[in-house]
Amino acid sequence: MAEARIIIDIAHISKVYTMGEEQVHALRDVSLQIRAGEYVALMGPSGSGKSTLMNMLGCLDTPSSGHYSFDGEDVSTMDDDDLAAIRNRDIGFVFQTFNLLPRASALRNVELPLVYAGVGASERERRAEEALENVGLGERMHHRPNELSGGQRQRVAIARALVTNPSIILADEPTGNLDSRTGQEIMTLFGNLWRSGHTVILVTHEEDIARHARRIVRLRDGLVESDTPNTQTP
Amino acid sequence: MNVAESIWMAVDAVRAQKLRSGLTLLSISIGVFAIIASTSITTSLQEAVSGQMASLGEHSFLIQRTPTLTFGSSWRKYMKRKPISYPQALEFKRLMGLDAIVSISNTNPGFTIKAGNESTDPDVALIGIDDQYFTVNAVSLSDGRTITPHDVDFQRPVAIIGNDVITKLFPSISGSVLGRSITIRNQLFTIIGVLETKGGVLGQSQDNRVLIPMTNFVKYYTWEWDQSVDVSVRAVSRDALMSTVDEAIGIMRALRDVKPWEENTFELDTNEALSSQFSGFSTALLIVAWISGLGALAAAGIGIMNMMLVSVKERTREIGLRKALGARRPWIIRQFLVESITLCQLGGMAGTIAGVGTAWMITMLFRSSGMSDITFAFPWSAILFSVVACTMIGLGFGIYPAFKAATLDPIEALRYE
Ligand SMILES: Nc1ncnc2c1ncn2[C@@H]1O[C@H](COP(=O)(O)OP(=O)(O)OP(=O)(O)O)[C@@H](O)[C@H]1O
Ligand SMILES: [Mg+2]
Repeated sequence: MAEARIIIDIAHISKVYTMGEEQVHALRDVSLQIRAGEYVALMGPSGSGKSTLMNMLGCLDTPSSGHYSFDGEDVSTMDDDDLAAIRNRDIGFVFQTFNLLPRASALRNVELPLVYAGVGASERERRAEEALENVGLGERMHHRPNELSGGQRQRVAIARALVTNPSIILADEPTGNLDSRTGQEIMTLFGNLWRSGHTVILVTHEEDIARHARRIVRLRDGLVESDTPNTQTP
Repeated sequence: MNVAESIWMAVDAVRAQKLRSGLTLLSISIGVFAIIASTSITTSLQEAVSGQMASLGEHSFLIQRTPTLTFGSSWRKYMKRKPISYPQALEFKRLMGLDAIVSISNTNPGFTIKAGNESTDPDVALIGIDDQYFTVNAVSLSDGRTITPHDVDFQRPVAIIGNDVITKLFPSISGSVLGRSITIRNQLFTIIGVLETKGGVLGQSQDNRVLIPMTNFVKYYTWEWDQSVDVSVRAVSRDALMSTVDEAIGIMRALRDVKPWEENTFELDTNEALSSQFSGFSTALLIVAWISGLGALAAAGIGIMNMMLVSVKERTREIGLRKALGARRPWIIRQFLVESITLCQLGGMAGTIAGVGTAWMITMLFRSSGMSDITFAFPWSAILFSVVACTMIGLGFGIYPAFKAATLDPIEALRYE
């Protein structure tokens, strides 16, 4: 079987934050390639640069040095609006704190990325309903976030990440605010998404969670410490 | 793109921060209110006055019991004046003799005119006139003849009607309506003339009227037997105007038993007097109201900017999220601009409603205090100005907060607590 195409290709990137006099090297010299259809977990101790790398991968941030090519396009020098277009089209974000709009229904929340993609209202609604059904929330789509449990909120967020049919799904500690049983349910959902062909990258510091992924990249002090396939099963 | 969403968000923001947004919107409302109310009131007055000036011919003047314009509490004084009765006016006309042309007329509003099965709305002005009416006033006929002294003396049932009335009563007749009959409160009248179309002076049509001999008017259509009549006087020439005015005042004072030390118990308005009386008042009102209105709007602009900055701050995470999901800078800018414009329009709307309502009430007050000519002038242009002004304020003072929101760093914004 021919190998799948490379979606993420970063070469020797670094990220330096300047805080007054002090310089913080969040990422030092990181190179990484991720192919379509992979399921990767980023691990490492607190402050090792996981979120910084994740933001980079998600085109929310640009590297201080090095190159990042996303699906063949060099994004390390793109401007704000071009990056926004890539995020909208190719990247689905799932956050630790869900980040749903509190005053909007689940359905409206899921529609949001499609609004920025310029999709018409009826098409938007159809696709948002479909995405919510995919995460098992077909019954709850008219509820507001505060009427949903934590696990359900995270499902809404996952539906929102899926609705544009992105190339990759990025999740930064998606189970961090959930109890372990709900966390496992969410991980089952990610597993299903991966099996149905999605590329999934998630940040976690729990081994139990990382075990779901097929490849584990460990960071330490802004460097890749190890990058190994995962043969364990959850 | 999603303008409706931004509008709802603005309404939401108002609901979430009732006091803060209420105060900001209040100052917009006050500004808009001042502009709209003052413009409407002065326009109403202007129309009332210019309507009267237009109907007065050159070197003519008008004698009335009360002035066309009454301000303040002086209307109490006017209400105590005895009416200028029809007999008194006739006596005045006799005494003026050949020195001037005198026309006696009177108007009552709200008549329903009928012909066959057709009927007008109860809004036709009925005017009692004499044979000199068309000489003294700037009115003319397009068809038929005028009222003669005989029509007046013998109380002939004849009428001259305006085109609005014709359209209502004889919709299917294309030719002349002369000779046809109309009914005014059970009295039959024959049409002998048609007024030349004048068109409406904003709102009040000059063509929605019926003219009949003064004697008929006094007998059948006045509320009280001694209802005050209007006396219009036309001097023989422009040079003779001042002396004719003096003579008219002298005769009127004598007829009404005004003692030498008392002031006139009637009003005498020339075109000049009316316009100068009016323009002084209306200019002052307009200047004061517009200055305070624009001042309030400018202050409101600062308030709007402040409110939007707070809103941007409070919604930092939301902005970060939207950017993460792919919102470009123009979209964020547009969202916040629509929001600030919506806020301004909400305030403006409240001010418009209050302004129009107040202007309407004040117009009605003028009317009930004796200015029967005044009609409410709906301030379309002032409203348009307010909508434009509110949009400009929303844009002008909203652009900085909107720009600030659009240039937020998405990562920082998402992390904001
Ligand atoms: N905006 C910033 N300004 C300055 N320093 C920053 C900024 N963002 C991150 N850092 C620093 O960069 C380093 C890496 O941070 P990062 O958030 O990537 O860690 P992490 O691996 O996600 O940690 P955690 O597991 O606690 O989430 C930290 O030392 C952090 O203090
Ligand atoms: Mg982190």
